[in-house]
Amino acid sequence: MKNYSPLAIRHKQLTIGWLYPDLMSTYGDRGNILVLQKRCEWRDIEVKIVLVDQTTNDQSLKAIDLIFGGGAQDRAQEIVMRDLRKNKGKSIKELIENGIPALFVCGAPQLMGRFYEPAVGEKIEGLGIFDMETRNPGPEAPRLIGNIVAEVQWSNNPAQSEALRAKSIIVGFENHGGRTYLGKNAKPFAKVIKGNGNNGEDGTEGVVYKNAIGCYFHGPLLPKNSIIADWLIKTALEVKYKEEIVLKELDDSLEKKAQQVIAKRLGVSI
Amino acid sequence: MRNIGLIWLGKLGSKISKQLHLGHGSTWPGHIALRLNPNFVKQMLKDSSVKIIFIAGTNGKTTSARMLRTILEADGKRVIHNESGANLLNGIASILLLKSSLSGKFKADYAIFEVDENILPRLVKEISPSYILLLNLFRDQLDRYGEVDTIAAKWQNALNSLPEKTVLVANADDPRIAYLGMQRKNTIFFGLTTQKKSAKELKHAVDSTYCPKCGTKLTYKTVYYSHLGDWYCPHCTLKRPDISISKDINISLSGTYNLSNAHGIIALSRQLGTLEGTIAKALEKVTPAFGRQEKIIIKDKVAQLFLSKNPTGFNESLRTISELGAKHILLILNDRIADGRDVSWIWDIDFEPFLRDFNHITISGDRTYDMGLRLKYTSNEPMANSQWQIEENLEKALHTALSSLPKDEMLYILPTYTAMLEVRKILTGKKIL
Repeated sequence: MKNYSPLAIRHKQLTIGWLYPDLMSTYGDRGNILVLQKRCEWRDIEVKIVLVDQTTNDQSLKAIDLIFGGGAQDRAQEIVMRDLRKNKGKSIKELIENGIPALFVCGAPQLMGRFYEPAVGEKIEGLGIFDMETRNPGPEAPRLIGNIVAEVQWSNNPAQSEALRAKSIIVGFENHGGRTYLGKNAKPFAKVIKGNGNNGEDGTEGVVYKNAIGCYFHGPLLPKNSIIADWLIKTALEVKYKEEIVLKELDDSLEKKAQQVIAKRLGVSI
Repeated sequence: MRNIGLIWLGKLGSKISKQLHLGHGSTWPGHIALRLNPNFVKQMLKDSSVKIIFIAGTNGKTTSARMLRTILEADGKRVIHNESGANLLNGIASILLLKSSLSGKFKADYAIFEVDENILPRLVKEISPSYILLLNLFRDQLDRYGEVDTIAAKWQNALNSLPEKTVLVANADDPRIAYLGMQRKNTIFFGLTTQKKSAKELKHAVDSTYCPKCGTKLTYKTVYYSHLGDWYCPHCTLKRPDISISKDINISLSGTYNLSNAHGIIALSRQLGTLEGTIAKALEKVTPAFGRQEKIIIKDKVAQLFLSKNPTGFNESLRTISELGAKHILLILNDRIADGRDVSWIWDIDFEPFLRDFNHITISGDRTYDMGLRLKYTSNEPMANSQWQIEENLEKALHTALSSLPKDEMLYILPTYTAMLEVRKILTGKKIL
């Protein structure tokens, strides 16, 4: 492994594409962008944030090094899907096929799966990036709501490293009506320790395909789980610059404490 | 009549509970009455001549109800009102029970009911109000209330079930509320007029910036706060309804949000036949409600509480205290049921423009470290230790914040709901100093 050299990283730059920030930002989703941005800036990595919306052209989309999508209300989800189906969906799929890292939280992974069957109304076709399907068992079925602790399955990811394997606990909040079931070609992102995860039955949480992560965690996944933020940044730089990147360690004691408060409450020692 | 028995029982129970200091006994008499007679509320109000007013909205219910009560009482009217925190059906049953005579009659002209967002659809089935004031709809406690769109749809159904004679007083500045108002014949619209201090652009925590009719992105001529403003749809030409403009008003409470509430109350009071002079005078002397800009004196120091329970409420608290010159602040984030178990919303607060105004920030509450992280990620450089302090234990946090407070400064406290109750108890009980 190469030694970290601050000089080597100084002239690096990342373009983060934030999908439909005013339609897909229901509850604190912005936290993920702030964390990615600051954790780059604190390491002298220059960051540009592209707000992807109906007016974004294909050229700007193709310049994206890291993709983030958050949760949307039903009506907003329809507007987003209408726009994605035109041509952006295809471009995003291409980026992900090329290894561009992506994070989809809350309701966003549902749009990236094969389809979503809402409680009422017609089945919504997704982009099919993840081999999974989501069904809402109906308005009477309880939503899966609450704090959640899970362990990331780094072995499902080609870019795993020793350092990452040691740090794999993620803590957050889930709130979803849909139940997601992974297909044969999909691997779970994490294993549930306490909480519901994808469907409350099989212990899986989220999904991974190439360097794209889908995760049911609500809103701000990255603030308490900086390890995922750093993995996204590192992978984005490695894909872009085609060299191994070692990120400078940051003081994450506050992150650790925030995780511990919830883990302790749920009776999990981390 | 069975209800008279319930009234006797409830009043007696409430008295005993107060004597024994078992809490303020605000909702349990109603809870029991409803258990014994599910139609209690309906029957109590059926033969009464009292005029019923509902006040609903994400933010400002308690303060608006207080404004209205002050105005009506200044006008010599007798008012009953469910005090803060009792805005569910059992709270309303309780107030009816406690304020009625032993024979089950009311000596009141008006009943003002603050109504929880989720309860409104159910309540209109029990009670037919003469007036409904709809203040605003913001994202709030998603785990409890669901999405803003969902609530708006429920309200639409609730309003459809009401007789035409019910007068709706609706905030024209909030596109979703305005659209609800447009669906009815009997709607009075209120709103703010252009002010010097209008926000330049939309904040991050906005929910209703798409046309409620056709889904196109709205254009704003002016933004007052959050998604409230002078808006129009460039596609279907839906626009903010015309409002009857009020002259400059002076209100005793700070903040644009209170000005918006006051305009709603003025529009409503006019409907009730109150004279302009009475309204204006009363608004100048409204005292703050429990925990809402309430000042508490502790020896030679003063703390002021700004209940901040959702992103818009928090943003407006920050803007208001910054205008008041705040230097020392205490943020308390809890995640109990009444606060919402999900604290994700703190990432929708816009701290960035205000952070430099504050010399010292103390952070506490059940989710101290989450709030700490929110602040950590506001600054370009990791924050200096001298600028902030993180202390999980609220008594200790309060002690530190107050002891480092210079004599002529005020400590501005921004708590979530249960944090407000907790900090108030410590401050008024003077437990720590």
